[in-house]
Amino acid sequence: MTSQATAPERMARRQLSDRAFAWLLISPAILFIGLIVVWPLIETIRLSFTDATLGGESWVGLKNYADLFASSKFWATVGRTFYWMFLSVSLKLVMGLIGATLLNAAIPGKALFRVLVMPPWVIPVAIGVIGWKWMYNGYFGLISGLLQEFGLVEERVALLATKTSAFYSAIVTDVWVGTPMVTLFFLAAMQGVSKDLYEAAWVDGAGRWYRFRRITIPQIMPVIVSMALLSAIWTFNSFEIIWILTEGGPRGATTTLIIDTYKVAISSQRFGEGAARAVVIVVLLATFSLFYLWFLNRVNRHYGAK
Amino acid sequence: MIDRLSLWQKIGVYAATFVFLLFLLMPFIEMLRVSLRPMSHLMTADFTWWSEDFSLQAYRDMWVTVPLLGRYIFNSIFIALSVTVVTMVVVIPAAYAYARLEFPFKALSLGGFLAVNMFTGAVLLIPLYRVLRSLGMLNTYWAMIVPGVAFLIPTGIWLLRSYLEKIPRELEEAAFVDGASRLYTLRRVVIPLAVPGLIVVGTAVFIGAYAQQFLFAITFNNVREIQPLPAGLFEFIGYQDTTWNEMMAAALTGVLPVMLLFLFLQKYLVAGLTAGAVKE
Amino acid sequence: MTHFKTLTVAAGLLAGTALSAQAQELHFIMCGGEVRPADQVVIDTFQADNPGVTVKMEAVEWGTCQDKSMQLAAAGDPPSIAYIGSRTLRQLAGNDLIVPVTMTPEEEAAYQPGVLKTVTYGGQYWGIPHAFSTKALYMNCAVIEAAGAECKAPATWAELVALAATVTDKTDAAGIGIAGKDFDNTMHMFLDFLYSNGGAVYDAAGAPALDSAQTRETLQLYADLLPYMESGPTEWERDQMKDLFNDGQIAMYVSGPWGSGQHAEKVPTQLVAPIPAGPSGPSGTILITDSIAVFKGTGHEELAIKLAKALTTGAAQYDLDSTWGLTPILDYEKLGMTDVYYTKDSWPIFVAGISTGGPEPMVEDFKSLQAVFTNMIQGIMLGEGSVDELVTQAGVELAAVR
Repeated sequence: MTSQATAPERMARRQLSDRAFAWLLISPAILFIGLIVVWPLIETIRLSFTDATLGGESWVGLKNYADLFASSKFWATVGRTFYWMFLSVSLKLVMGLIGATLLNAAIPGKALFRVLVMPPWVIPVAIGVIGWKWMYNGYFGLISGLLQEFGLVEERVALLATKTSAFYSAIVTDVWVGTPMVTLFFLAAMQGVSKDLYEAAWVDGAGRWYRFRRITIPQIMPVIVSMALLSAIWTFNSFEIIWILTEGGPRGATTTLIIDTYKVAISSQRFGEGAARAVVIVVLLATFSLFYLWFLNRVNRHYGAK
Repeated sequence: MIDRLSLWQKIGVYAATFVFLLFLLMPFIEMLRVSLRPMSHLMTADFTWWSEDFSLQAYRDMWVTVPLLGRYIFNSIFIALSVTVVTMVVVIPAAYAYARLEFPFKALSLGGFLAVNMFTGAVLLIPLYRVLRSLGMLNTYWAMIVPGVAFLIPTGIWLLRSYLEKIPRELEEAAFVDGASRLYTLRRVVIPLAVPGLIVVGTAVFIGAYAQQFLFAITFNNVREIQPLPAGLFEFIGYQDTTWNEMMAAALTGVLPVMLLFLFLQKYLVAGLTAGAVKE
Repeated sequence: MTHFKTLTVAAGLLAGTALSAQAQELHFIMCGGEVRPADQVVIDTFQADNPGVTVKMEAVEWGTCQDKSMQLAAAGDPPSIAYIGSRTLRQLAGNDLIVPVTMTPEEEAAYQPGVLKTVTYGGQYWGIPHAFSTKALYMNCAVIEAAGAECKAPATWAELVALAATVTDKTDAAGIGIAGKDFDNTMHMFLDFLYSNGGAVYDAAGAPALDSAQTRETLQLYADLLPYMESGPTEWERDQMKDLFNDGQIAMYVSGPWGSGQHAEKVPTQLVAPIPAGPSGPSGTILITDSIAVFKGTGHEELAIKLAKALTTGAAQYDLDSTWGLTPILDYEKLGMTDVYYTKDSWPIFVAGISTGGPEPMVEDFKSLQAVFTNMIQGIMLGEGSVDELVTQAGVELAAVR
């Protein structure tokens, strides 16, 4: 396959076939996404400018959006959703760091522990949440029962029945679902940190905490930041967990944007209004992600990852 | 040495690990307890740890209450596997392109893929139903596989790309110099080296597929014989009663095969994660 | 040659139509998660009587059933026939998804008073009522007597509150179970009391009438009962309360005729009583029906209507009502039956409430209607507003419900 062409010509041909080849490689992915995501998304955007319900639709322009932005309940929901996201993701990151550190420690049995961390991640989310729902029940549930047994409360605690406790209970379940994956990714990242760095610091007399703070964390920072973004996006849209536990109640205490969207679009069959909410979710997340990616880029460059 | 822990520290680590694992495994322990008790003893507010009438009765009854249970368990695994295979076939070339090649709109399209992560099927349900209907895929396995694949592609590309970027370019250059075509390089040089990354991404995709079957199954499929487990579990909710103990028994039994699979794969998973994180 | 061709084409067309006329499949969505034996008998007979016609049953549980039927219809793939809550009929009719039903005057007269109102919209019937329920108060005499009170039906709300208070104070159990979860029967339970107080959601002209003194009195009842309710009432809906009742955790709660059977084993000393009357009206109940609706656009609407009528004739309906434990939907004695099941046991209480009862309101957006009540009820339960504020707000929210 040696050719008589000159070097620049070969280069040019290579560049051209590079591009064609690249498009060839990514075309199946684009096809899938185009069909299953992009097209329905365009349709959703179109629907958001109508008052579509089961019976039909007519163009209403920006009315759905105007109604949304004028509603104080909507802004409360937006705030609640961001609070939900920040709190849950922070907790997941912290739990992940703790878990990864524990699993990284030089103790016998850590292989077994590593396996035991996985179940919440591996099972279908719906099944795990049903388990939690059972545990939260005020009368028959484990948590209420245990708390009474140990005398920590005098009477039943109905965790999903009051607004604040329902919200934080949902957070706990959400963190439970997300912790294993974060833990394992952090663990892998930690194990990839070069031992020499630790040795050098140890020789210089650095203690464990110092080594953790000044070596481990900075070294795995790119993984922390990218995990945080992925987790933030998933948490923002976390639907099954809240829906199965509380369906957004009581009195809207656990209603995040995705719950509200589902209720309006599917439960009340108001497709147009639901579509508007869906578009808002996308815009909010896109803005957030762009900002985050810019941040990620800076962190990567700062820590010299790529 | 540097990693040696004192006795107290060891105890501390064990204790902390115990608490950590307890948090993660508590619901399963509870589900197990529920599955072992008869219904009449479940719906009582008197809390007891150990019940004299613990029995495996529910595990026997569940096959009768929901006759297609075995089928549901099989379907879950089959669908998740299919999604994984199709996703990997689509993702590997794409990830390679993003890792190695330069082409116009590269950053933009990558960002676009990531943006897909921002949706869940929940918002796109009705238009998606229409798309699947016009493709004639409703009420078939495809109805659950195709959307599953689409929503996992972005994560797959994103993750695999970072692994492929770590494979030294020199090896590929060497192959080119020797006159190999691009596809040949991809097949014979890159993929073998990318195996740890492939395992990790494949596993992550499988987990994703297995976990998110529910919504697509209940919306796009009516045929009971091909329903996956989470949707099938709803059959335990009867007209007047929910047979909780059998439902939990079915849930635990259903996830057991996948858990066992994990026991086997987790070694490779963590090894692959580690390999991916190593910086040259 | 042309003759032959025309013949073959004609034969082909004929065969095609014959085939399609022969092999038809009715897609029957049965809400509730199971097919009742009495219905199954009728369906089997129907298939036997109509060769080439198959009925594909799909039993879907209540939680997802209505949404699913509507999704199918919305996406252009409607079921042929569905057994569905009557509350959805208005939305389905308003969106031109189902066909109206015609009844002869004899058929109309056979129904119990108020039943047909639950399927009427715009002057037409949109479904054939197939199951009917009314409510009564269940009391656990063992618990009540353990509290030192007499196990007697409270006639007024004041008596109800007093009884609940006694039970809560003197025993570990809660006096009464009230549903507070965001669920349809939370609204139903409230309406049981509202209709026992001469109240209404919409007046005779169809205008919102919730913001009234009767509603305030009813919400005040909830506020008065709050200290004596089960813990965390916003977590409970009525069907789950059966477990609390069976476990002796609540002494009373309102439920339908199926309750007797559900409690028989654990609460042998149960008493069934009419819902106590409020200060402004006689004891009543909410009238709820589930109907059979025939969807449009399937190509075999006539066949589906045939099946629907077969399921709801006097004899078939009586079979279902008596075996499944439903309030009688037809006046069977008027139809000539003797020794009917509903003159025995506690049935008379469930039948008595029919004439003073009120229907489940028929709206297009049922979930929004439900939300109005849930908001109001949970507001009182969570202490987020006074009775007056919450009822006023409910009135405003109701006006926005289509």
